[in-house]
Amino acid sequence: MTFLIQQTLLYAVPLMIVALAGVFAERSGIINLALEGIMIFGAFVGVLFVNLMQGAALFHDAYAAKNWLVLQGLELLAMLAAAVMGAVFSLLLSFASVNLKADQTIGGTALNLMAPALVLFLIRIIANQNTLGMADGSDAASWFMIKKSTFGIDRKTDLGFLGETFINKVYLATYVCILLFIVLSVLLYKTRFGLRLRSCGENPQAADSLGINVYKMRYAGTTISGALAGMGGFVYALTTANCASTGDVAGFGFLALAVMIFGNWKPLNIAGAALLFGLFKCVAASYASIDINGDGIFMLQEIGVSSHVYRMLPYVITLVVLAFTSQKSRAPKAEGIPYDKGQR
Amino acid sequence: MKKLFAMLLAMAMMVSLFACSNDKPDPTKEGSEPPASQGTEESAKPEESSAPSEAPAAPAENPDDIPDTMTSSDNKYQVAFITDVGQLKDKSFNQGTFDGVKLYAAANNKSYKYYQPANGDQATDDDRYDAMKFAVEGGAEVVVCAGFMQTAALSRAAAEFPDVPFIFIDGSPIDGCDNVAAIAFAEHQSGYLAGYAVVKEGYEKLGFSGGGGGTNPACCRFGYGFVQGANDAAKELGKTVDINYSWLYGASFSASTDLQTMINGWYNNGTEIVFACGGSMFQSIVAAAAANDGAVVGVDVDQSAQSDTVVTSAMKGLSASVQWAVAKVYDDSFSDIGGKGTSLGAKDDAVGLPTATWSLENYSVEEYEAQLADMASGKLVVDSMETEADFAKLTTTAWSNVKLSVIE
Repeated sequence: MTFLIQQTLLYAVPLMIVALAGVFAERSGIINLALEGIMIFGAFVGVLFVNLMQGAALFHDAYAAKNWLVLQGLELLAMLAAAVMGAVFSLLLSFASVNLKADQTIGGTALNLMAPALVLFLIRIIANQNTLGMADGSDAASWFMIKKSTFGIDRKTDLGFLGETFINKVYLATYVCILLFIVLSVLLYKTRFGLRLRSCGENPQAADSLGINVYKMRYAGTTISGALAGMGGFVYALTTANCASTGDVAGFGFLALAVMIFGNWKPLNIAGAALLFGLFKCVAASYASIDINGDGIFMLQEIGVSSHVYRMLPYVITLVVLAFTSQKSRAPKAEGIPYDKGQR
Repeated sequence: MKKLFAMLLAMAMMVSLFACSNDKPDPTKEGSEPPASQGTEESAKPEESSAPSEAPAAPAENPDDIPDTMTSSDNKYQVAFITDVGQLKDKSFNQGTFDGVKLYAAANNKSYKYYQPANGDQATDDDRYDAMKFAVEGGAEVVVCAGFMQTAALSRAAAEFPDVPFIFIDGSPIDGCDNVAAIAFAEHQSGYLAGYAVVKEGYEKLGFSGGGGGTNPACCRFGYGFVQGANDAAKELGKTVDINYSWLYGASFSASTDLQTMINGWYNNGTEIVFACGGSMFQSIVAAAAANDGAVVGVDVDQSAQSDTVVTSAMKGLSASVQWAVAKVYDDSFSDIGGKGTSLGAKDDAVGLPTATWSLENYSVEEYEAQLADMASGKLVVDSMETEADFAKLTTTAWSNVKLSVIE
């Protein structure tokens, strides 16, 4: 059970945070199809940052001395770097769709095409191969994972269900993302800024007539979106890909778009959808070693269902739930329409 | 201001266009290596006459000190290397083979170049054939092709360029092509040694995660040998060991989140050590091992430098055999190996565990060397898998001391 919850969180958290990135853009009236591209770019920047910093004496010594605080700091800095560069990358989209009033779908697609190529190009220059990972002889888990040994607790000690699940073998990034998710959801719904942002996605003309600068709001929306997607990309690479960047995030950006629509552009629903998808993704990959009630019997394997069925599950479930929920789903009214002051 | 931005945008797009074409051989790239001297190839020949089936004396140079790309003054590259799927620097199969190319070329003043078939893990036979054609047109005097998956492309290229010798690592001979020298290894022996060693060391819950989806002969032999070794060691110790055995998520030999999750699950359920049998897959398995304080057995080359979790590696002498075979081309004895298959095993000193970085405590280097000697002399026979029909032997054999769970 512990294993199932931990793995589900690893899959769900990047999805959740990137889907929220999509919400910020779309609520401000810009369709951010470039989530995938920004994730790829953010993952690359974060991994590059970690790779470079590993050589720095401060972090090198901290690793040797098992100074976990410094290493967790490095993780946060890498997340920040990924977020900043993700935001910068998303400016391309904002500029094209706000200033140039270009078609947002095409702008986003262009970024999606550009990011993997650009990232691979840079990786080839830096590492002379197709993958940029951590420096030799190290892996993400031994640098950044919070384990019992981090707190000086013996490996054999039992921390109880909650301790084992939420303190042992986890990444700080997971909790930072969850916290950010909550804070930003509150920002979107309970603050003046959030209300103004959402109004620009529903009726920008009305918002403008009340003195809100629609262009600025849309820039703010996509920039926050870019920062979150970039960070989500790095978190994905860190927690599920051994901190390696390959110009690919396994389609998580597009999945996040699906999760966003699935969650009806509302944070709470998105969290639920991401968890549901993460759960089935986890079941698909490790059904043979999931022991639900702890009796040593791997039920999912014992019942003899073909593994292909398990691997289809995440997508089948998504289709089914979408079929039931899509009738009620309502996208922001003005999304995808370039704001034109003269139009009434 | 707007114009400036628009230009920047346009330039960024241009960069992405260039990025798409960077797999093509690009001789304009500057290398740090001084150009190979021209016209000295002939004089180098007589010096190369190493004993057959012997690992040639390795030059003192570390392969990592030789650059991966070099620029030759006449834009011809004499020794060409075509990679298998996965990346060049996979710290395993591709890299080990390429190390042999680099070491030979550096020691004998040859120019060398690697060609990665287009489309990465999804490379088709056409992509591989194109890479071989590029290599030959680039002046290759010998082409080293790594990996069983190149069979179809190689039979086409070898027929088209009958004058160019091809060295086919991990492959089987191709009918009617005397210019193809197939070199295979007795991976089952290497796998046996690793399986035996880890069970002797005290591990009781083992795992095997292989690449190629169960159709790659080299990986199948590694796995089959691993189980045999574990079985024999367990029999001697009078206990039963569990082995999780899987080909899942390894078809393209690349790292993936799904693979990492699956192996995480294994370790979480008590698996202590996993044999990571496939190039870049190693990354996913090591990540899972490090998260769960598990151990890993490396493959092809000594992988202990890559992670603290690696306790030993099932090696095969890729670098040494490439150097040996390429030397045959240059001392005019290629006909000895061309057109047929050469199998290298314990008796040729081509398989084994790394003794220089030995980390096992309950199983000593002396015990290992005694066993290797038995294997070389034929006293200890490890069953092999030669054809596809043999692959089923793993599951049809009744293992006395191994509880095998195949996860598919």
